[in-house]
Amino acid sequence: MALAKAQKQKMPKNKVYIGSRVFDVALAIFMVLICIVFIYPFLNVIAVSLSSNRMITTGQVTFYPKEILFDGYKLLLEGQNIFRAYGNTVIIAIATTVISLSMTSLLAYVMMIPDFVLKKPLAVFMLITMFFSGGTVPTYLLIQNLGLYDSWWALILPNAVTAYNTFLYRAYYKGIAQEIREAARIDGAGEFQILTKIYVPLSKALYATFGLFSVVTVWNSYYEALLYINNPDKQPIQMILRKIMFTSRISNMDAAQTAISNGALNQLNVQYACVIATIGPILLVYPFIQKFFEQGVQIGAVKG
Amino acid sequence: MAKKSKSSATVTAAGTQKTFWQLLWKQRVLVLMALAPVIMVIIFKYVPMYGILIAFKNYKASKGVWGSDWLDPFYKNFATFFKNVNSGQLIWNTFKVGVLSLLFTFPATLGFALLLNEVRNKWLKRTVQTISYIPHFISVVVICSMLNGFGSTEGLFNNIRSFFGLERVDMNNGSEYFLLFYIGSAVWQVVGWGSIMYLSALANVDTTLYDVANIDGANRWHKVQHIVWPTIIPTTTVLLIMNIGNVLNQDYTKILLMQNDTNRSQLDVIGTFVYQKGIVEGKFAYATAVNLFISIIGFALVFAANQITRKINPENSLW
Repeated sequence: MALAKAQKQKMPKNKVYIGSRVFDVALAIFMVLICIVFIYPFLNVIAVSLSSNRMITTGQVTFYPKEILFDGYKLLLEGQNIFRAYGNTVIIAIATTVISLSMTSLLAYVMMIPDFVLKKPLAVFMLITMFFSGGTVPTYLLIQNLGLYDSWWALILPNAVTAYNTFLYRAYYKGIAQEIREAARIDGAGEFQILTKIYVPLSKALYATFGLFSVVTVWNSYYEALLYINNPDKQPIQMILRKIMFTSRISNMDAAQTAISNGALNQLNVQYACVIATIGPILLVYPFIQKFFEQGVQIGAVKG
Repeated sequence: MAKKSKSSATVTAAGTQKTFWQLLWKQRVLVLMALAPVIMVIIFKYVPMYGILIAFKNYKASKGVWGSDWLDPFYKNFATFFKNVNSGQLIWNTFKVGVLSLLFTFPATLGFALLLNEVRNKWLKRTVQTISYIPHFISVVVICSMLNGFGSTEGLFNNIRSFFGLERVDMNNGSEYFLLFYIGSAVWQVVGWGSIMYLSALANVDTTLYDVANIDGANRWHKVQHIVWPTIIPTTTVLLIMNIGNVLNQDYTKILLMQNDTNRSQLDVIGTFVYQKGIVEGKFAYATAVNLFISIIGFALVFAANQITRKINPENSLW
């Protein structure tokens, strides 16, 4: 102890040291400010959705509700079929995830086998789709010609197998020792069995990560539904928010409209309530699954 | 180890002199496994590529892509587009939005990563990271809804304006706030998530380098200059190439949501134009031609960016 102390005193670095401490403190303050910038908008949305019209119009709502009222949420639940949209989105998300994970696994597995004759051709086949695509209109026409318009399959199938994911899965499988595969083959296991009984159980982290990515992507997407889904009963949650926010505003919600026009409610009450209904599920599960997402980016980084 | 098994496989293949078809028959289980995903890729990725042909055709749904007559001249749709008075404006808008957002998001992400790397308190660093990723998981519809609400006369942005003594204005009409909203929200969304790539590259730095630097009396700025910066240059280059290549693939689904009747003409980019002409107005061939034109430029950009990097430092290029 005494020696360490003496050494510290001997070092002529005190000046640098102080500068570094000042920097640390300034940086910490800056980081806290950044966090506020990230979080404040959400707090404001929650606060406004629960505040009275008077407080909203006079601009007094900051990050907590004033003159609290729940009418925005009540009218949202009465006027829109939020629960049906939730259900639709969940079904689409599960189907997309299951199909995407299984199809990508099959393709990535065969592309990983060193002596498979089609290994190289398949890699080129997938690589091409990374650089070229048909674009909006040809894909739209294809969906129509296949008779998938207004069907959830139009949202599920087109992006189930992507080049990027296939290459990442392949890289992950390559990390599993080839000896295990060869041993299993000697024991008489077929390729499909090796994939399902050995590779899939050994790739839990991969599936957890990409499964979550897939669910979140489906939850957040609206453009495909805008293109391919016309039936209001089949719309996913994002389209409900889009409708309330941007198109007919809330005009189709009679009760809300009367409440807004006589000043009992602010338009933002209902709109922000819908924003919260849309991001709520994501924000609720985010803290628990956050590490998987980061893991996913790192799987990608290893490959890149 | 994988290498060893690979070479042994080629030896057996060469030793028995099997033809390609014999090998394929032997590996039919693998072919069967790949069948379903390959068919899906052919249908949903390759058929639309083939569908691009309609850009040169007088497309009739009843006749199909191949059966429709060729246009005379075949580049008629492109000629129409360039004769259009708005085409210059459209291309300019697409470039402007793309380049400006790259110019802001890229340095912001890099800067954020470098600053985060300097945070010594583990707990603070972890917390900031966790919080900064949240915007990445928010959908465009939610982002635009929030911008729309904040920009309305009683929204957050106007509260801030009135706090500084400025009058309240409706920011959603007209186009003067569009770039500010678009780029500001893009920075807000990507800064945290984009920093992961840099931070994971920095996590691999040999810590003895820092110890050696300490002995040499290096201060923190020296360490950033001589250890941190050289470590992330490859990552930075690759990300920059990818970003430059994608400069034209801006998020038009976001712009589509930010458009309204008062600003549609000023905000149009190629992506929204293609949606409007192709899907809404049903001019399939024309929209496909416009889309093809911008894809070619985009592809040329990726290619050019990569060639330049290869000249500067071959190790950092994508191919």
